[in-house]
Amino acid sequence: MTNETPEVVKINKWDGAAAKNAIDDAIREVFTGELKCKESFALIDGRLFLCALAVGVALYALLWDYLYPFPQSRLVLIICVSSYFILMSILTLYTTFKEKGIFVVAREKVSNNTRTWEASSYVKKHDDKYNLVLVMRDSSGRTREASVNKSFANFIDTNGTVVQTLIVNEITKLYNSLSSEKKEK
Amino acid sequence: MLDVLFDDVKRMNKRQFIYQVLSFGMIVSSALMIWKGLMVVTGSESPIVVVLSGSMEPAFHRGDLLFLTNYPDEPVRVGEIVVFKVEGRDIPIVHRVLKLHEKNNGTVKFLTKGDNNSVDDRGLYAQGQLWLTKKDVVGRTRGFLPYVGMVTIYMNEYPKFKFAVLGCLAIYVLVHRE
Repeated sequence: MTNETPEVVKINKWDGAAAKNAIDDAIREVFTGELKCKESFALIDGRLFLCALAVGVALYALLWDYLYPFPQSRLVLIICVSSYFILMSILTLYTTFKEKGIFVVAREKVSNNTRTWEASSYVKKHDDKYNLVLVMRDSSGRTREASVNKSFANFIDTNGTVVQTLIVNEITKLYNSLSSEKKEK
Repeated sequence: MLDVLFDDVKRMNKRQFIYQVLSFGMIVSSALMIWKGLMVVTGSESPIVVVLSGSMEPAFHRGDLLFLTNYPDEPVRVGEIVVFKVEGRDIPIVHRVLKLHEKNNGTVKFLTKGDNNSVDDRGLYAQGQLWLTKKDVVGRTRGFLPYVGMVTIYMNEYPKFKFAVLGCLAIYVLVHRE
């Protein structure tokens, strides 16, 4: 998706969640744009699938109870309610342990290797520090990690606009440091 | 301020939008599943009801919330307050059991009357019906919370208020990211 003029992302600079989301989006664009990686949606799709399954179970229970009023639908309701709450627990475990704040997974082909980049971020409540962790896995199974802990002010100007060039610089620095470390070893 | 809300939506890609819709669906589903779970646990098709009239004063007032159970092995007894539905009308009525006839095989028929009414409920039953049976019963009252049900009464009397509140909640959940 190439734009003639890049979209100006303007957010409320005092809203921590909005600022984190804006910077996450900008980083995603860096990976798919400048670094020419291909985004992998497998992680997000897993979460969407779990959510859709849970909603499906609830709708099924609703429909069954509508067609066969309560006392007959008791067994189906018990099954649906328990499976719904089991699915919710699985979903919580999935987001806490498998996703862990990862907002972009990008794949890149370099020489004859495929490298996977995972970027995850978090911001503490009422804190202006944006923490970014970048993990690189290559085809030989090696993992490298780098993190940045900077205030939002480094990426967002006083108007609330995300300055894309600053993000590009930061990410490129991390990208190069992770790529070159590999070569040295 | 409204366009700031929708800015977030415009910048969402397809997957994020689907996730917002699913989040909304999950909130609704959770409420639904908790309700159905309560139905199963209490055995009653409507485990929480709101008192709509003053026919049970001074025990219950209009707007009180009642918790019901309907276990098949707990028989109805005289003096208990039951919630029942008359065939053909779907408004539940909360009154006390006055008289009860029980056969050896367990079938019961009983008569009810509101504490604040001067006559028994025979006038409320269906045409030709003189007694209530187990299948008319929605549940027996086990506990209550005063005043809490007034919200439901207002929402039913002023449907616009209900749609406004639910509409705002829905929009907030759909638009707010994470």
